[in-house]
Amino acid sequence: MEVLTQLGQGFIAAATPANLLMCLLGVVLGQVIGVLPGIGPSAAIALLLPLTYGASPTGAIIMFAGIYYGAQYGGTLTSVLINVPGESSSVMTTLDGYQMALQGRGGVALGIAAIGSFIAGTIGTLGLMLLAPPLAGVALAFGPPEYCALVLLGLTALAAVGGSVLKGLATGVAGLLLGTIGIDPQVGVPRFDFGQPWLLDGVDFIVLAVALFGVGEVLASCRMGTADPILNVGRVLPSREEWRQARMAILRGSGIGFLIGVLPAAGATIASFVAYIAEKKVAADPSRFGKGAIEGVAGPESANNAASAGAMVPMFALGVPGSNTTAVMLAALIMFGLRPGPDMFTTNANLVWAVIASMFIGNAILLVMNLPLAGMFARLLQIRYCWIYPPILAICLTGVIAHANNIEDAWLMLAFGALGWGMKRYDWSAAPMILGLVLGPIFENSLRQSLTLSHGSGAIFVTRPIAAVLLALALIAVSVPLLYKGKTPS
Amino acid sequence: MKASKGELALALVFALLGILWIVAALRMPLWEGFVPQSGFMPLCYGVLLAALAAAVVLDLVLRSAPRAEEPVGKPLLVGAILAASIAGLYVVGFAPSVFLLLLALFAAVERLPLVRSIVVAAATTGVLFLVFKTWLGVPLP
Repeated sequence: MEVLTQLGQGFIAAATPANLLMCLLGVVLGQVIGVLPGIGPSAAIALLLPLTYGASPTGAIIMFAGIYYGAQYGGTLTSVLINVPGESSSVMTTLDGYQMALQGRGGVALGIAAIGSFIAGTIGTLGLMLLAPPLAGVALAFGPPEYCALVLLGLTALAAVGGSVLKGLATGVAGLLLGTIGIDPQVGVPRFDFGQPWLLDGVDFIVLAVALFGVGEVLASCRMGTADPILNVGRVLPSREEWRQARMAILRGSGIGFLIGVLPAAGATIASFVAYIAEKKVAADPSRFGKGAIEGVAGPESANNAASAGAMVPMFALGVPGSNTTAVMLAALIMFGLRPGPDMFTTNANLVWAVIASMFIGNAILLVMNLPLAGMFARLLQIRYCWIYPPILAICLTGVIAHANNIEDAWLMLAFGALGWGMKRYDWSAAPMILGLVLGPIFENSLRQSLTLSHGSGAIFVTRPIAAVLLALALIAVSVPLLYKGKTPS
Repeated sequence: MKASKGELALALVFALLGILWIVAALRMPLWEGFVPQSGFMPLCYGVLLAALAAAVVLDLVLRSAPRAEEPVGKPLLVGAILAASIAGLYVVGFAPSVFLLLLALFAAVERLPLVRSIVVAAATTGVLFLVFKTWLGVPLP
């Protein structure tokens, strides 16, 4: 009952004209970003951060959440119409979605993806609503050792899901290391400023995020060519027979997606893979898959949207990101002076519930927008990347300068942008680096506080049960992929 | 050796960053009583980063499959134009620097039609100027 009351208050907050506008802006931007090549939701949120100065944190987070799940819808268009996934979470959709488009059923593929995404997004948001508050309640018992272990779990889990655990860990540690630049918060002495006064405030996460996700992405993608989309999408509403084939796939995808999304750092991509495999396993005739099976679109598309909602459970309840994009959103929350984690549900309940309520509204907007306007969004695919990336670079430059009115930050952005290009080129995950930079000070403070509490004994991390469990999970997150890698041929 | 030279260089950048942190952290107080001091965590991070980067290098040398290197000419050119634009901020200020950045990328790098490039560059610069300077009141250079 209390949940419904709070959700009601969330709807009141989300339905204010300003927040409705932010929600609409978020989902439209997300949809466009999902369609356009070379820019993902993480980059879009990083680029928009400077524009949210002075805005209400609630409105800003509502918009960022809209971009996140809106991009999942947008990514479907490129998968179906040009056989190129707009987002990594839409990779599986290409297998059957593009085949459907070649058969003249592209509109149905987009329609079932939109309907499935709406149902899954709604189920996922219901799950977020029901699961996050009790999880946050448990986490309220957290002290410095638990926070320390939690940060470690977040970093290791995020590092472990990239292409290489070693590279992910290295970038995560590099982020922690960059987080030590500036004044030591405990004793007030400057560290690693190299005699530059502008480094005393440390490396701002906006500079790093814009550099890695914006400049790095542009440098890595500026050689991209043009697409040749299938623009005639046809009817978008599925027939009765197609709906009968797809409905259970939507429900299974929703369940799988939400559960996987809740796991720290597992995210929408893994969810869509698992959902596709599950559909193929339960199908009466698995040979239809890869040749235009509607379940091959409905399952993964439902899963990636439900996972977006699921990924917000650990972000809101524990302060641990469930995906790359939520890692940037988590950093944005910290930028607004909020502390993501169990306290959010007590100290910033209005914000959390308004965001949750806005997700119901945003999913409804996306459904309404996608069914009749699929053809119009398909035309965005004709825009060549050479017209897109120069303005992205200009926005990166302006955003970074505007953040602290400091041209030195622009040089820092260029340097980190070059690093981001190299990381993108060789599959080094950037999200752990951002997270390391943001969580570094929290990690260091809680470690020092823990050791002060225990009079210098590291045993405090294993004698307190929650901290021990979190550390064990962090260890598992790192060791399982390493062991698995060791048993598979390179 | 099959590993990509570019990726090895990237791993070495991370290793050097770790070593730099180790050297600097050793000049700071590390531990006092039972509490870590300013240099302790940076030292730990430096050691970890250097070790992880070394492990990546080892992994690359021993296990990686040969991969085709994509040409780097265009990204380097785009990066150089961005650097020139940042340098231009000190001399000509925000709006001309951003306009020239966009124009150089559209017209010189991408060889798009000149008139359309000028129009899009001017419009983008104008929108950015209006949003940041006029709407948000940011004091741009």
